[in-house]
Amino acid sequence: MDSAISAGGWVCLLSPLAGAVAIALAGGRISRRAAAWISVLTTFVAFGGALVVFVGLWAADPSDREHVSTAYTWLSAGNFDVELQILVDTLSSTMMLIVSGVGGLIVWYSVGYMEGDDEERRYFAYMSLFVFSMLLLVQAGNFLLMLVGWGLVGLASYLLIGFWHHKPEAVAAAKKAFVMNAIGDATFALGCVLLIWSTGSLEFGDVFGQVDSLSSTTVNLVALGLLGGAVAKSAQIPLHTWLPDAMEGPTPVSALIHAATMVTAGVYLLVRASPIFEAAPDVQHLAAIIGAITLLVAGVVALVQWDIKRVIAYSTMSQIGYMFLAAGIGAYGYAIFHLMTHAFFKALLFMTAGLVIHHLDGEQDIRKMGGLRSIMPRTHVAFAVGGLALMGIPIFSGFWSKDGIVSAAFASGDALGYTLYVAGLLGALLTGLYTTRLYFAVFRGEPSEFVKEHAHEGHGEGPRSMTIPVGVLTVLATIGGLVVIPGVWEPFLHWIDETAEPLVQATVAEDYGTSAIAVSLALIGFYLARRAYEKGRQFVTNPGIWRVLEHKLYFDEAYDALFYKPAAALSVALRRNVEEPVVERSLDEIGSGTIQVGGEVGRVQSGLLRTYAVAVAFAVCVLVVVFVAVR
Amino acid sequence: MDGPDVGWYLIVAAILFGIGALGVMMRRSPLIVLLSLEIMLNAANLTLVAFARQQGNLDGQIFALAVMAVAAAEVAIGLGLIVAMARRRVPLDVDQASALRG
Amino acid sequence: MGNFLVWVIWFVAAAACLGTGVAVVSMTNPFYSALSLIGNLASLAVLYLLLSAEFLAAAQVLVYAGAVMVMFLFVVAYLGGRADAPWAGGPRLLRGAAVVAAAALLIEIVVVLGLAWGDQLTDPAEVSGSFGDPAQIGEAFLTDHLLAFEITSIVLLVAAIGGVVLGTTPEKEDEVA
Repeated sequence: MDSAISAGGWVCLLSPLAGAVAIALAGGRISRRAAAWISVLTTFVAFGGALVVFVGLWAADPSDREHVSTAYTWLSAGNFDVELQILVDTLSSTMMLIVSGVGGLIVWYSVGYMEGDDEERRYFAYMSLFVFSMLLLVQAGNFLLMLVGWGLVGLASYLLIGFWHHKPEAVAAAKKAFVMNAIGDATFALGCVLLIWSTGSLEFGDVFGQVDSLSSTTVNLVALGLLGGAVAKSAQIPLHTWLPDAMEGPTPVSALIHAATMVTAGVYLLVRASPIFEAAPDVQHLAAIIGAITLLVAGVVALVQWDIKRVIAYSTMSQIGYMFLAAGIGAYGYAIFHLMTHAFFKALLFMTAGLVIHHLDGEQDIRKMGGLRSIMPRTHVAFAVGGLALMGIPIFSGFWSKDGIVSAAFASGDALGYTLYVAGLLGALLTGLYTTRLYFAVFRGEPSEFVKEHAHEGHGEGPRSMTIPVGVLTVLATIGGLVVIPGVWEPFLHWIDETAEPLVQATVAEDYGTSAIAVSLALIGFYLARRAYEKGRQFVTNPGIWRVLEHKLYFDEAYDALFYKPAAALSVALRRNVEEPVVERSLDEIGSGTIQVGGEVGRVQSGLLRTYAVAVAFAVCVLVVVFVAVR
Repeated sequence: MDGPDVGWYLIVAAILFGIGALGVMMRRSPLIVLLSLEIMLNAANLTLVAFARQQGNLDGQIFALAVMAVAAAEVAIGLGLIVAMARRRVPLDVDQASALRG
Repeated sequence: MGNFLVWVIWFVAAAACLGTGVAVVSMTNPFYSALSLIGNLASLAVLYLLLSAEFLAAAQVLVYAGAVMVMFLFVVAYLGGRADAPWAGGPRLLRGAAVVAAAALLIEIVVVLGLAWGDQLTDPAEVSGSFGDPAQIGEAFLTDHLLAFEITSIVLLVAAIGGVVLGTTPEKEDEVA
């Protein structure tokens, strides 16, 4: 049983890597279709492995649900060892299922989406690389391996955002994503360094066992380092500006990386390292506060975006804010639960958006859309399901997870808890607003001029490789939340609890009470947005506010002024004052100086015999003294 | 031993050596330089013989004989050089033979 | 009485040695310099005799004064007026440095001798009458110092060859002005 679980884990991890390597090595020798199907196949094999693991763990005794499987000792320095090991427990098996399952569906979808692109093989190699990296991240048995996976997903994200490398905006967005992620990587690495220094190990078990014996400064610093990494990877404020720009990549990339998996890595880290955060409660609360702020800011900015993908991107940011909030107050089960349901409905939303974009020959501006309800009925249904899940309408999946988070905030009491509670409820209102706005703009009303020109009649809504995954996700977004019904059965929460015990537990009454308020707020948002749409105007009318929101609260401009401009000015100044006069000229001076000195020294060679004789005589004098003294 | 101590012979040899050194460093004719060189060699010989007498060891005298032989060889070559220079109408001035100038 | 005689002879020979030495270095006419050197060599031979180095004294007169100086005189005769060269000349710094160097050397040696006079230069060893005999020298040369003997002969051979090489007439084109 043990070996089956470990084998399943390794198969899950290595299958996408094998796919990526195979596609890369085969190069042009295989057809583009073949490369695509290799990628899809290996990802589903990974899903198979994850299923084996899950079933194995489920069947096992609850006390026996943690397996560490080591391949070999990767590095060893004195007392410090790092092994190449994977950790398979309830938390990581859940993540494995989500990553490989939703990932498999999205890769399948991209077979149809990316068809005809010249560089399909490169795309699928990168996609498999990404799946491998994400699986490495969630299966890592120690912090160093997790950091490796962390960096690799950042790399895959960079490669995939900038996939259409002849588009300068895509390249710039890829660089921006990478650099901001690098900031997070650095803080994460510093946290790891502190851990090595204070505990001498990076293995989860060792570290968590020693957490109580560390000084509070150390634990706080480590937690801050880890939080920094999570904030960057999950695009929370203040390291969030890369996520909207990342929409330059192909839509399946946005679905997989920037909705379902990579951006949720931060949440995974917060839950996995919960012992560290529990020992540093201030930092944990900081995570919750960051989540709440992001949740609100992103929701507000989403109200003024015109690009369909950007609206969904800001929505992602906002929902991850909910997950951070949950992890920050200790409701780990709900954080992971929302991660899962969010993966379902956000991937669904992105994929339906992709169907729309595909159908309209690449147009993404919602002002040009409208009335697609009659033209793409099945897409309309899928999008509606996703939207309802997002807004948290029962019985769709989002309802169960999001409201659980908000009620947990209520249950944690004290000033912070209540503030977070209010923020969560406000977020529900905003979610209703922007989702409805998007839905009406794209699907309702009369078909716009643009739509009438560009919509392909009679082509169906998309190839089967695109519609089947969308269908599967639609079903999941509908029923996926039913694994947690407060007061009835909560298997999912119990499952996650075995790895990360929650700090707060709301009562059933609190749960349903909060749900009632949240759903009402969402419906209020729905009505407000619908009324604005019917009146033909936006919800936000004040031009001043509009401008601020449109510029995303001027974060980009602020970072440009605070960080980029001074750095650029410093480089130019250094170049002018240090590089040229000192470094370059000094090289010249060394050359000419040597020649000069050589010339001077050469004058000793006078050619006069007698000077040489005098020199010898003087030397002998000195030598005599030396010999006498030595004796 | 009759007469002055060995040390006095050494003093004479030292002064002779100094005179020879002065000659080598100060004269411009290669011929005179060679002669001064001979004086220096002889001073060394005197030192060797004096120490041989002091220690009762014949090795010093053997050494002095070898020095004499080598000095003779060197003089032969040196004079050959000077004659060759004269035959080629090179001025016999040590200062003018400065082809080694760097 | 014997001791006194030895002192006198020593004094005369030493004075002659040094005087001729100065003469060699300071005379402008190379012929006179060469002649002074012969005198120098003769006085040195006397000193060798006083140091019980009879064979060496004889060799000095025969080889040095007899052969080497004759060579010198031949060359001086051949060169004639061309051998004349003014006294010093050249950079004044050079002359000063030369004097300083020679003086420094001299002073150093004297100082060292002074320091060592007490310990190592006190009792000369007792030597037999046959110390410095040709027989003894020959025996030493052919047993203990055979290698030096052979190498010296090779050196002389090389010198002979060198002399021949240097004496070859230059070809017309090689004439150096």
